[in-house]
Amino acid sequence: MEQLIIALAALPLLSALSIQLLSARLGRHAARLSVAVTTVTFALAVAMLSSSIGGASGEVALAGSWGILRFDPLGALMAVVIAGISLIVHIYSVRYMVEEAGYARFFVLLDAMTATLLTMVVAGDLITLVVAWHLVGVLLYFLLGQDTRSHSAHRYAFWTLITYRIGDLPLVLAAGLLHYAYGTWSLSEIFARIAVEPAAPMVLGMPLMELVGSLIAAAAFARSAQFLLHTWLPYSMAGPTPVSALMHAGIVNAGGFLINRFAPVFVHTENVLPVVFVVGLVTALIGSSLMLTQNDIKKSLGYSTMGQMGFMIMECGVGAFSLAIYHLIAHGVFKGTLFLGAGSMINAARKSDGVPKDELYSFVVERQPAAVRQPWLLMVAITVAVPVLLLLTAHLLVAEDYFQKQGAIVLLFFGWVTGAQLLYTTYRMQTQNFWRLLRLSVFSLAVVVFGYTLISHAFNLFLYPDEAFREGIYAAANMDLLRFNVLAGLMTALIVLGWLVTYYAEQSGSRAPGHAGQLWLTFYAFISRELYLPDLFTRLTRLLLGAAGRLNVWLRWV
Amino acid sequence: MLYWLAGLFLPLFPLSMGFNALLVRVRNGPLRAVLLLVWPQLGLSLAFAASNEVPDWVLIVALFTAALYAFRAIALREMGQWIGFLATSAWALLWPVLMSGAEASPIRLYALGFSVPLALLALLGARLESHFGAAYTGLYGGLAETLPRFSGVLVFVVLAVIAVPVFPGFFALFNTVVSTTAAAPSVALSLVVIWLLWSWAGVRLLQGLIIGPANGIEAPDLSAAALWSYTSAIVVLLISGLYFAGDLL
Repeated sequence: MEQLIIALAALPLLSALSIQLLSARLGRHAARLSVAVTTVTFALAVAMLSSSIGGASGEVALAGSWGILRFDPLGALMAVVIAGISLIVHIYSVRYMVEEAGYARFFVLLDAMTATLLTMVVAGDLITLVVAWHLVGVLLYFLLGQDTRSHSAHRYAFWTLITYRIGDLPLVLAAGLLHYAYGTWSLSEIFARIAVEPAAPMVLGMPLMELVGSLIAAAAFARSAQFLLHTWLPYSMAGPTPVSALMHAGIVNAGGFLINRFAPVFVHTENVLPVVFVVGLVTALIGSSLMLTQNDIKKSLGYSTMGQMGFMIMECGVGAFSLAIYHLIAHGVFKGTLFLGAGSMINAARKSDGVPKDELYSFVVERQPAAVRQPWLLMVAITVAVPVLLLLTAHLLVAEDYFQKQGAIVLLFFGWVTGAQLLYTTYRMQTQNFWRLLRLSVFSLAVVVFGYTLISHAFNLFLYPDEAFREGIYAAANMDLLRFNVLAGLMTALIVLGWLVTYYAEQSGSRAPGHAGQLWLTFYAFISRELYLPDLFTRLTRLLLGAAGRLNVWLRWV
Repeated sequence: MLYWLAGLFLPLFPLSMGFNALLVRVRNGPLRAVLLLVWPQLGLSLAFAASNEVPDWVLIVALFTAALYAFRAIALREMGQWIGFLATSAWALLWPVLMSGAEASPIRLYALGFSVPLALLALLGARLESHFGAAYTGLYGGLAETLPRFSGVLVFVVLAVIAVPVFPGFFALFNTVVSTTAAAPSVALSLVVIWLLWSWAGVRLLQGLIIGPANGIEAPDLSAAALWSYTSAIVVLLISGLYFAGDLL
């Protein structure tokens, strides 16, 4: 097992070095070498995951008390995800990048990135983790700036780098605090000490766990494009498509991984996870809103990822750590597919739309408005009740006491809103055969709800087999009951109000007229201009550069 | 008196202006490189020779100096000045290590870890000056297209200067930050902000030199021998970086 884990991190690095040294001799075959090595790496990751499912675990130290590679369920699972996505991106890039300058360099960087990401997820000590965490940002900068002629690609690559560097710094400080408190770099030793002595020492007048948890959460926010640290994400599309796929599918998700890695710290915090929840919620709402108002499809995809990352962080914030891991994998797969498939889809659509003209297509897409609408009271009842029934049944299947947890209720609430929104939209479609469409919608919803619930439950058992620990994470995520009730009530009222406004707007046949309409337009402009945040940050950057320049003049450039 | 002299060699503002004025006047690349290697070692020798303790206010001045020069470096376009400012910022950070009571040899190695990449950059800058008349960002650009070998080496050297893992500067800074996080959080916070400014300055330097369409100016790229020499130096830096990591433990 030790050789396996070392090979996992070392193989892509060796591939990168080989291609760099032999690129002149290998020519275009460099890509084949890279793909072959990544295939072997993926096979090793799968073997590691199989062993982990079989109960194997451990760690190996490469250099005394640092350079430790940790072999545990989280690392094994993430290694498969990273190696798998990397393999797909590699295969895709062989032909996609063939006419680009710096073909060999691209594969060197891609292999180096794969090695770094794998090292990050199996890092067993703080130094290795910080080194890998830091290097991901640096390598991503060069991958995004693959086209060295493009100033704009490098400009936005710089936005990415500087945000990632901002995220590196809290992790360094957290590492410093943990080392100060426990006198070791080893994560296993630190987590064992925390488990034995949960009453954390005080540092700077604060419980150590709260401080470290806050710093780690801050590092995760920067990596996962949370609100105010998100502007780089929609603008990083100037990089090559495979890099966008890798970034959206496997790099930006690292925030969720980091929070999971430090779960033994978060389980002993009181006030960190509720803040994580609020940050995730705000990011999810803003990211989704911005996604809906963008005219540029790439920016829209970028904000879609931001919204998804908000949901992922929000799941961590309610204590559903393993659900966040499942979410990041699911998001990685579908977003990677979107990016990699977009080009060929557009190309194919130019020749033929390729949509089958079968019965289902005609029914769903080429529908005719119904002459008579269904009674609205019945529709409200279905819209509200069906998702609740589905969610309750699915969750009762996996755990009877599931509803005792505050975090679970929050997740169910969001599940209910999503399901109800789906059924409400079905109702609004006014199709001729409404009941058939409703059956299709409910069936799809049931598949998603049951699938999501069962898989996330399996993830929970695999990643956190200790039931007391799982309970502890949910407990750490609990917020004050009054605050929780007010928040839930407010959210429900807002959503129901939104539905009512939509309903009455459609009934009256117009959107809010007069003053309200003007207000709506202003709001829409504000959202579609991305809350003016990129402009604000650009202005701030220019101000800082101007100030530095003036200082240089005053001090005579010495 | 010895500390005042040390403040000149491990530059503290405003004494740092003397070093930067001197560096601008030294136009010869190898001489600049030697100056960058020797200058902080002289400062350290002076600091070690002083028997009394370093006054507390030196820490504040050192952090101010490091932050001031890091901040000013983000707006610089001339490579020689950029090297001087980054050197000033990095060497000023040796004061917190000195004040922590660390032994002489690791501090000297930290200083070398900061100086060697700067010396390499000075040599690369001299090469640019000899070919183009100036090592100035935004003036010609597109070096990645016209001088790929040179650009590759430049990228690695700048990464070493701005303390990217696993170069020695990274471990020197990492060690300084983690050793101060709990005892002096404001110092640790200042250090990480300075580190962030280095990254900004480094990326602006690289973007101004290597990014953009080919400029059409003919210049010879690094010879195979020069490439191997620089590569060897970078590999040595990487290995010594790992040595620093060992020193952390």
